[in-house]
Amino acid sequence: MTRMLGAVVAVLLITAHEVSDYDGWLVVATVAWTTVSLTAYASARVQDSPAMWVLDTAVVLGLIYLSTDWRSPFYIYAVTALIMPATGLAFRAAVMWSIGFVVAYLGVAIATRRFGNPFDRATRLEVAATHLLIPIIVAISLAYAADLLRRLREERQRAEQMAVQAERQRIAWELHDSAKQRVHAAHLVLSALDGRGGEIVEHALSELRAATADMDTSVAELRAPLDGRPVDVLLRERARELNVASPADIVVRGGLPDMPPLVANHTYRIAAEALTNAVRHAGASRIAVELSGDDDAASIVIRDDGGGLPEVQRPGSHGLHSMRNRAATIGARLDLQSGPEGHGTVVTLDVPLTTPTSEAVT
Amino acid sequence: MIRILLVDDHPALRAGLTAVLRAEPGLVPLGAASSEEELWPALNRTKPDVVVLDYHVPPADGLQLCRRIKRQLTPPKVLLYSAYADAKLVIPGILAGADGVMNKSAPAGELYDAIRTVARGENVRPPVTRELLEDANARLDSDDLPILGMALDGTPEGEIARTLGLGADELTHRLERMIARLKVEVPVPRAV
Repeated sequence: MTRMLGAVVAVLLITAHEVSDYDGWLVVATVAWTTVSLTAYASARVQDSPAMWVLDTAVVLGLIYLSTDWRSPFYIYAVTALIMPATGLAFRAAVMWSIGFVVAYLGVAIATRRFGNPFDRATRLEVAATHLLIPIIVAISLAYAADLLRRLREERQRAEQMAVQAERQRIAWELHDSAKQRVHAAHLVLSALDGRGGEIVEHALSELRAATADMDTSVAELRAPLDGRPVDVLLRERARELNVASPADIVVRGGLPDMPPLVANHTYRIAAEALTNAVRHAGASRIAVELSGDDDAASIVIRDDGGGLPEVQRPGSHGLHSMRNRAATIGARLDLQSGPEGHGTVVTLDVPLTTPTSEAVT
Repeated sequence: MIRILLVDDHPALRAGLTAVLRAEPGLVPLGAASSEEELWPALNRTKPDVVVLDYHVPPADGLQLCRRIKRQLTPPKVLLYSAYADAKLVIPGILAGADGVMNKSAPAGELYDAIRTVARGENVRPPVTRELLEDANARLDSDDLPILGMALDGTPEGEIARTLGLGADELTHRLERMIARLKVEVPVPRAV
């Protein structure tokens, strides 16, 4: 925008007042370079490229030189070459850049041989000082504004993150401090019936226990989100933790592809739950975790040598239930099988990573 | 007859617990306190046999409160009653002098049994597993481990202090530091 304005000013001045024998070509060059530079600066990578800034500066100073006078119609046009460096660089560097620009401009001015001795007349000195100081002033104001904008953006991002974090904490707190306590109270009161309530009450009690377990999981997730870290890294971390805390020997092999956040979250929780089950309930001493996958699907196989799957579900166990629910949520296939001759357990999780729409239809 | 004082900051649980305990013969709920300020007058007035104490009693926590209750001249039995991973409360609970640790998800029958057991002077708590011990080991100073060992063995505090040549205040200080390191983190809303 500013550059176009500079170009218009240059062209108008040059038509109003002849500066050389080849004014026509200068106009063509101005229009051409304006088009080329604006097209190039449309790309974010070029915007931040010092090489492009140097090239731009060289071209505009070249135009000044060709216009044969340092008080050139191209002066405003030349100053627009400072916009990108001044907004792209940090404040100090932007000012240094503008000083460099002034020095180069002074060099060109002297090369035009019309610079003379600026000290011999007051008006001459004033014009020279103005021409030399304007680039610095422009750069300082632009850099200052850009710096402010950058800080504002960072501040806003930080504020957003803090707000999200605080909100998570608040929800976790409410779940835990209020909802869960009420469910506990309901469970306690119902359980006082102690068998006199029959099957319906037993059912309600087991639902209430499941609700507590769900809330525990949600609280844990709200307090420790994955934060975009890859699932395989997290699983290795979890395996290390369990390795330290238990006699089981856990080996994790392979890796997983990148996953969308929701899928990653559920995948991690399923696998982590499977590991915990193997260590805590199956009493496994060796656990092998195999990770694999490509862009279309990921697969996790967890083999242990523990006591295998329980014949009947342990009372108060919601782990398996929640694993299945999670798998269903992300359209994954979860398979739990007792190992050969009933020793150990094999947990297989296949997670599709292509768009699930086609599967949802079938 | 076992006389019981309840401490819980949530009204639904206070009401539920009171109703459930009142329904059980032999158990008498004397009252319910919702905070530490309410606890001391209620404790002095009612002189209960057993205090059923929530882990989360802002601004203090159940463990600190338990230690303070146990510092009384004739302390009641204390059953820590928590909605948190109860297993993780076992070791800090023992250090705080609690007679029992019970999860709030337990059915009423188990709660009655637990109250009767601690009233008899026995302990009710989930087992101290190797996992818990290793976790405690990782979090505590090695100097504190002998105290932990003796406390887990049920050694009275006076005897621990004599054995290790510590003053009573020094031992109290060390115990409180150990509890602070072992206690379970509660999701607390950030002050805005």
